Amino acid sequence: MTQVDRLATGGRIDRSQTLNFTFNGKGYTGFEGDTLASALLANGVRLTARSFKYHRPRGIVGAGVEEPSTLVELMGANASGNCPATTVRLSEGLVAKSVNCWPSLAFDIGALNQLASRFIPAGFYYKTFKWPNWHVYEGPIRKAAGLAAAPSEPPAKGHFESRFGHCDVLVAGAGPAGLMAALTAARAGLRVMIADEGTEAGGSLLSRKLTIGGAPALDWVAQTVAELAALPNVTHLQNATVWGYREHNYLMVTERAPTNPSLLERTWRVRAGHVITATGAIERGLVFGNNDRPGVMLASAVQTYVKRYGVAPGKRAVIFTNNSSAYAVAADLVAAGVKVVAIVDSRETVPEDARAQVPGIEVMAGKVVTEARGARHLRGVAVTAKTGGAARILSCDLLAVSGGWNPTVHLWSQSRSSLRYDAALATFLPDIPAQAISAAGAATGDLTLNDALRSGAEAAAHVAGCDTPDIPEAPDLPYAVDPLWRVETSTGKAFLDLQNDVTVDDVHLALREGYSNVEHVKRYTTGGMGIDQGKTGNLNIIGTVALAQGIGMDQVGTTTFRAPYTPVSFGAIGGLREDTVALPYRHTPITEWNLAQGAVMYESGARWRRPGYFPRAGEGLQEATNRECRAVRERVGVYDGSPLGTVELKGRDVGRFLDYLYTNVMSSLKPGRGRYGLMLSDDGLIMDDGVCFRLDAHRWIISTSTGHADAINGHLEEMLQTRFPDWNVFITPVTSQWNNATICGPKAREVMAALGTDIDLAPEAFPFMSVRDGVVAGLPARVVRVSFTGELSFEVNVAPRHMRALWAKVMEAGQPFGILPVGSEASHVLRVEKGFLSLGHEVDGTVDAHDLGMGWVMSKKKADHLGKRAVQIRRDGTGPRRELVGVIPEPDCQIPEGAPLTPGGGREETEGFVTACVWSVVQDRWVGLALLENGHARHGDTAHVRLKGGEVIPVRVTPPCHYDPDGAKLRS
Amino acid sequence: MMQIPCPFCGPRNESEFFYGGPVRPSRPDPAAVNDEDWTAWLTQVPNPLGPVQEHWWHARGCGTWLTIWRDTRTHDVVEAPDDAG
Amino acid sequence: MPYDVTFTRLETQALFDLKGRREAVQEWAGEALPACPDQPNSKTEAGGATLMFIGPDHWLLRADLAREAALEATLRPAEAPPEMSIVRVSDTLAFFRVIGPEASEILAIACPMDLHESRFGPDTASFTEAFGIKALVTRCEGGFEVGVEQSFGPMMLDCLTRASC
Repeated sequence: MTQVDRLATGGRIDRSQTLNFTFNGKGYTGFEGDTLASALLANGVRLTARSFKYHRPRGIVGAGVEEPSTLVELMGANASGNCPATTVRLSEGLVAKSVNCWPSLAFDIGALNQLASRFIPAGFYYKTFKWPNWHVYEGPIRKAAGLAAAPSEPPAKGHFESRFGHCDVLVAGAGPAGLMAALTAARAGLRVMIADEGTEAGGSLLSRKLTIGGAPALDWVAQTVAELAALPNVTHLQNATVWGYREHNYLMVTERAPTNPSLLERTWRVRAGHVITATGAIERGLVFGNNDRPGVMLASAVQTYVKRYGVAPGKRAVIFTNNSSAYAVAADLVAAGVKVVAIVDSRETVPEDARAQVPGIEVMAGKVVTEARGARHLRGVAVTAKTGGAARILSCDLLAVSGGWNPTVHLWSQSRSSLRYDAALATFLPDIPAQAISAAGAATGDLTLNDALRSGAEAAAHVAGCDTPDIPEAPDLPYAVDPLWRVETSTGKAFLDLQNDVTVDDVHLALREGYSNVEHVKRYTTGGMGIDQGKTGNLNIIGTVALAQGIGMDQVGTTTFRAPYTPVSFGAIGGLREDTVALPYRHTPITEWNLAQGAVMYESGARWRRPGYFPRAGEGLQEATNRECRAVRERVGVYDGSPLGTVELKGRDVGRFLDYLYTNVMSSLKPGRGRYGLMLSDDGLIMDDGVCFRLDAHRWIISTSTGHADAINGHLEEMLQTRFPDWNVFITPVTSQWNNATICGPKAREVMAALGTDIDLAPEAFPFMSVRDGVVAGLPARVVRVSFTGELSFEVNVAPRHMRALWAKVMEAGQPFGILPVGSEASHVLRVEKGFLSLGHEVDGTVDAHDLGMGWVMSKKKADHLGKRAVQIRRDGTGPRRELVGVIPEPDCQIPEGAPLTPGGGREETEGFVTACVWSVVQDRWVGLALLENGHARHGDTAHVRLKGGEVIPVRVTPPCHYDPDGAKLRS
Repeated sequence: MMQIPCPFCGPRNESEFFYGGPVRPSRPDPAAVNDEDWTAWLTQVPNPLGPVQEHWWHARGCGTWLTIWRDTRTHDVVEAPDDAG
Repeated sequence: MPYDVTFTRLETQALFDLKGRREAVQEWAGEALPACPDQPNSKTEAGGATLMFIGPDHWLLRADLAREAALEATLRPAEAPPEMSIVRVSDTLAFFRVIGPEASEILAIACPMDLHESRFGPDTASFTEAFGIKALVTRCEGGFEVGVEQSFGPMMLDCLTRASC
């Protein structure tokens, strides 16, 4: 059986290229140019899906993005879930299966839901699965609902791309209006981008038999596309959907088949000067009993299958319509050799121009279809007068329905531009633009070809400021419609939303239960919340609400249109940002050396990848860390401190500027000397800590913590630009101009001497907290005596271009002294032993300098500095403060960071928590730091850690410093 | 993605900027106000449904701290409202 | 490579960060500099040095590294008056040159700015973003140059490789 329903001729398919594909495990053939849907119809496959809730048999309803029924999962290399079969381009070897059916399409266990359907109306889940809570039920229900599984593997080949685009005019849609708009704007010299979701330009013209300027309309399409292609100021994308409209005319466009062969999909983020939505219109379905039977299709889809794909979706067709456009469909069916049994038209009076399309075919005016018959496939329809009465049964296997046309206002509405209800067209139309946007063609209600061409030209001419060009002659059948939101005399389930199985009864139930606002109706019934976003059904829901409430369509209004217009791959949004570049990362010049040493590298703030520790054979984290710590405490170690933020400041007012920013006085520093300081925000929180050095009268450098370098730079600039714009201060971040090797340990001075330097290293000549410029190991260097380890330290700063050379020389000069590289794990241990604070550990949003035992850093001399008043107000408050203390676990054991301290270890409100706990090489045991209520007064007491399981660990409370409390070593 | 007008660079993508929060009144002299007024200044941040003046830092551009009036309902960058003091 | 481009990381360039009013900068360092550009985010070139006007009262001088010492001797950062700031920042930026017929395709992936020649000409120099990182973008013969903070150099290479393949 091969393509039994393929017409002998016609269609925009390439019959010389046969494509093999598999659907639900069975092999078929189609042609190049087919969609999966057209190929299935050509093969006589009518039952293509099961519905979401009731698992009713479903077929193909639409021909494009509006398809509500047939969702498929694509398998294999380009696995993808929940794709409308109507938008899947057929390709050789394509493998697809239906979603929503288990174990198979023909025998679907979930179809038993149909028998129980009376018991699962709207809100059923909300009402039933609420005790004890929804999560108990969520898993099994989601499995039964059975949308497609997410692909488990990345695409076999290729990758996604995301890029930026810019244009004067973005035209969404390359139908007649869009092409005309793009042509007009491009000829006027504007930078034009035109994007269309179809595989080829032309829009509705691809499915209709019309002429432009006396020639086939598609000739005009081809000429226009060719002219656009030749213009350098035009970017024309096909297979590209404009799916999101953001603020400030920023739009999202995703190309599904970019020309670059290595790309799967490409997203453009387009900033457009102006947007013209020429997005066409989508046909509504009609609402009557069993209107979801396979064989009930949109009239426009029937026309598309016949004209564009050369497929007869049925042998005996009935047309059911409330407007004139379906008459052209009937004419096309007749021309294709399909028997048209009758046209059922709900209008009492059918315009003559419509009748003239279908001579010899019975037109049943003022009649409606009340019920579709047949179990798995349509076998006939029952037709009565609109007011009811005896039914006449028409035998047919295809019912083409047209409920009128909805302009595709999704993008328009996403832009926050308003809509108005138009009674004559019985639909919502674009009204007042909220951004630089206009609508053209069917998207603005110009539903005939001539009007569409004219409005496209006018919209573009308005933007370009040029005259509207002459429009070629393009005759079309006038459009006239009488709304029919539902057939009130219908019997059986009448679906408003096929994808989510929402019926008229569901909407009525929602209204009865008080969900009268259309947004509430939507949430309660889920009508319009499927993947198709209710493109064919939403207006019928609004109409059903209006009828039930006896109010106008404008009073009901629409639900909110949201991006994306059609489903978008996550990959297409993410673009390149995967694998190693999912997040930014930074390296110092020592990275290669670190890796060669076998360092374990990880992120350590501000995106820097740093060595955590340098394990030797057989060593784990703890052993390596202990070895590195001992080197620093007993001999000498070196670490790469390059990521520490560094900022140079220049100007006459730097001193008072720093006095305002730091809690302590910096302006009194002498050249060459430095001071540790805290920066607060004005609400008294500790923003950062670091050191500040004065180089000369007007030049200073400050350091920031690694993670805060950018934020502190922003803070400095904010204070300067917004509070002291007249002060003479210049701020230059120089973090990346200086790398450093920080040599620390009792032998650090010997290593410095071995490196060779012109700086006098004697303690009295180069004391702690001072800075010297000079030459070290033959390299221009700035050496700073600071210490984050508690040991004698020389921070040797050089330009990054010299960093590898410096490092090699340090390792060489330090080798006789047993120097070791030190990772961030050891640095952490060393600072905890010293009781040095670390932002994010000991410093959170609650503590101030006094709590940390650093009241000395809060200047009493200065009348004001950032945060001073807030800290005062807080400390004037009553109630205990959590204060920084040391903790010694007794018995000796490790305490998890963050473990709470409770009074007596009882199950009570916490009185603090352990901020850090490390194995101390100097104490030869576990030591920690904690924030503890009234901790300063409790040195020597025992406090209690209470772990999650109720285990209690007593800890002895001590001063925070576990090593060299006088600081003799670091000053040595 | 908003487009923010930078006085030096012209309109640029929001992603080049850091948000600096709504513009508050000038910082009072801490010696001249009582605790209540100070706390009010510190904690009461303009949060209107409508135009609000706010700081943005062109961190990935020219480094300017700038202010704009942005309508919180629409993201439209608007002129200063008539009653803006 | 599906995009017809080549990219290379340049050697370290001599860079000096200059801040201060135009008059102050010109008075102190005018002889060492190309004429100060008038337009924001534009550049001037003279004698192998490029002067970029990259922010309010903010300039960036770029030349080959071989000229760094000579420029520093002329600019005398440590002696400059307090009305201006001169800081040697040669190592802060890693420059990448992206050239080839499709260089603008790669920049469209990297950079949110409109780099169309009508908006971003040969005299333009501006900080913006590249792959989400602050970047100095200029045109060069046959393409673009992108400077990012040096520590992001390996990541830029990673991103350029991914973007162009």
